[in-house]
Amino acid sequence: MRRHVRVVALVASLLALVGGAVCAQQPGGELIAGISADPIGFDPHKTSAYSSFEVLENVYDTLVGISEDLRPEPALAEGWETSEDGLTWTFHLRPGVVFHNGRPLVASDVAYSLNRIMDPETGSGASWRLASVDEIQPTDGQTVVIRLKHPYPGLLTKIGGYKGMAIVAKETVEDGTITTRPIGTGPFQFVTYTPGDRIVLEKNAAYWQEGKPYLDRIVFRVIPDETVRTTSLMTGEIDWVDSVPPQQIATLSAHERIEIGETSGTAYWYIGVNLNHEPLGDVRVRRAVALAIDREEIAAAAKWEAAVANDSPIPAGAYYDAEIHPFRGSPNLTAAKQLLEDAGYAEGFTADVMVSNFYPETVRAALTLQSQLKGLGVELEIRVLEWGTWLEEEATGNFDFFICGWIGNLDPDDYFYAQHYTGEVFNFTGYSNPELDALLDQGRRATVAEDRYAIYAQVQDIVINDAPYIYLYIPKVVHAWQPYVRGYVTRADEAIRFVDTWIES
Amino acid sequence: MQAYVVKRLATMVLVVLGISFAVFLVAHLIPGDPARILLGIHADRQQIDEIRRQLGLDRPLLVQYGYWISRALHGDLGRSVLTGEQVTSALAARLPVTCSLALGALLIALVIALPAGIVAAIRPNSWYGALITVASQIGVAIPDFWLGIMLILACSLTLGWLPSFGYVSIRESVGEWVRHLILPAMSIGWISGSIVTRFVRSAVLEVLGEDYVCVARAKGLRERVVILRHTVRNALITIVTVVGLQLASLLSGVVVIEVVFALPGLGRLAYDAVTRRDYPMLQGAVLTVALAFAVINLLVDLLYVYIDPRVKY
Repeated sequence: MRRHVRVVALVASLLALVGGAVCAQQPGGELIAGISADPIGFDPHKTSAYSSFEVLENVYDTLVGISEDLRPEPALAEGWETSEDGLTWTFHLRPGVVFHNGRPLVASDVAYSLNRIMDPETGSGASWRLASVDEIQPTDGQTVVIRLKHPYPGLLTKIGGYKGMAIVAKETVEDGTITTRPIGTGPFQFVTYTPGDRIVLEKNAAYWQEGKPYLDRIVFRVIPDETVRTTSLMTGEIDWVDSVPPQQIATLSAHERIEIGETSGTAYWYIGVNLNHEPLGDVRVRRAVALAIDREEIAAAAKWEAAVANDSPIPAGAYYDAEIHPFRGSPNLTAAKQLLEDAGYAEGFTADVMVSNFYPETVRAALTLQSQLKGLGVELEIRVLEWGTWLEEEATGNFDFFICGWIGNLDPDDYFYAQHYTGEVFNFTGYSNPELDALLDQGRRATVAEDRYAIYAQVQDIVINDAPYIYLYIPKVVHAWQPYVRGYVTRADEAIRFVDTWIES
Repeated sequence: MQAYVVKRLATMVLVVLGISFAVFLVAHLIPGDPARILLGIHADRQQIDEIRRQLGLDRPLLVQYGYWISRALHGDLGRSVLTGEQVTSALAARLPVTCSLALGALLIALVIALPAGIVAAIRPNSWYGALITVASQIGVAIPDFWLGIMLILACSLTLGWLPSFGYVSIRESVGEWVRHLILPAMSIGWISGSIVTRFVRSAVLEVLGEDYVCVARAKGLRERVVILRHTVRNALITIVTVVGLQLASLLSGVVVIEVVFALPGLGRLAYDAVTRRDYPMLQGAVLTVALAFAVINLLVDLLYVYIDPRVKY
């Protein structure tokens, strides 16, 4: 009798435990999310707008996903193997996945999407991520084989790191509706878009993650003014807001009912230097500037407390951080002046810095930079351009300095290859160093973690010291929401995911 | 009269065409293009050229304008280069929002300006007359977006009376349509009202100095009749001109308020179109505003015939 009771008690408590955990998330409800801009089209392979991806993140899946701690994880592919020579990757698709129009996902869909990204006729801005790929073939309905031109251990983050690599439904490309009515396999399906006003998504009842998503609907409201956006969160008109302006973080934290999610990001913000404009071609001049500035002051001016000053692009404590900090003592005007003198510019020089009001933090940073560089004898003229013009000027090399950021850096290769390899697409500084190029190529092929670490330590040493980019700070990602919004996590890669979110009544 | 109207309409068409060509040129000649906006920082020359080719931007400017004009004359203003949305349906969706806002603002402006301007003119040396003059001076100087945000902080956040952003169509709910328009309309209406107050005051003051007003008083008419029938009626030409100009400028100048209050109106459409270099959208928005300006000017000129019997075309 007593043993019976103990078993019953044990079973009852186990049930309570399991029952409690499952009942915690309440299905149903509608989330009103405030975003800062209108999406620019819904074709994930063509648009680069963050506002588009806030929506698309919930509509599409990628072959491989990225977990909260930024590691590759199964998504549409539930498993994969690499051949011995590292040239062939075989991905096994998860069975039972359907598109929002009811059609089952098959391997040829994956091949179609990835090939579309690589196709120069598509003009996709994500094609560089598949530069190491030779060909992609579906071998049967559930298996996709990717053959590489050379071994590339970083393939997983390139294929899955960002929704620009989404697996799309071929029929939407063929009938041209992909830009206006996307159809994916993700937790939410697209319902309507009213330009200037809202985007509505509805729960995908056939989603491949059992029991998810919890929300019935998401309504993204476009609220361009940042004060109004945070105010409408405080009045309770919206439930969640992206991009909390750094100067309002303190106000929101003090608000008793608002939750703030904060995490250090994977982005880095920097001063890009045009090595083709004298005297910036001389490394001593660049290092002088890097030594003369006060990064804490610049970070505070740009982001208040929402950024960490850093003279390296890799956050402190990250696995690949080789702790290269040649400018740690800055601002050090004496040493900086000495370097300028050695380079023959003891009297200083004039230069311009290009920023855009599209990123107001860069304007604030530039103003601080301007006053800081006066001590070095550098007269800095600030050019504030609107975004379209800024992009054009950057591409044509019509600048001395510019201030910008790179986001979505997951693999160490993301931090350096496209930006500093000789002649690479995003190398706007004109930097060219054959030693660095060789190391970067090695880094792409190295498969053993220790080897990669050593290679990228050398890369950091070269790039940080040669200063084609003068690194400034690493921003934090900050979102805010009502207390009844549960299960939302602020991600370091700034992807907005509502698959685990639920409303507590 | 008919000949006059026909002549005005013909001039209007020419003016609007000229504006559309000027805007087309300027938009295409400034640096940056929609391909760059779409691709962002991650773009190489080849991709940009490919997207430009897909969007038809690699053809000569005159050819592109020619295509646009020939389709526009058939009522087809093209599609957004970035989202594929039809320009005419975008304009049709946005116009009611801007019209609601402009008319609401104008209503508030007139409710403020007509009584205030007349009172300030009739009693220029009283304390309330002076107060109106000072208040209108301040009103003219206030930036509309600042007033908008202050109103939001006061009425939405602190008092919780009114919504802080967004638009509800009148077909969905009349009550909500009004509630969502109050703050934005007040932000502009207050300033517009201040401007019109000053014109009403000076127009009425001028008329008050006329001989016939003196005669009307001498005849023994009640003051109210003197003011309303003789004074204001004669000041109406100036007042109607100013109101017409205000309405036209409201239709085009509500950009900032539409951005602050997240209203999906014409001003916001034009602003987004410029920043994104969405050429067809921009052309469509400018065309609409230019037409609105021209039509309002024509209507104001025709209205003169009814106000002032001396005016004949």
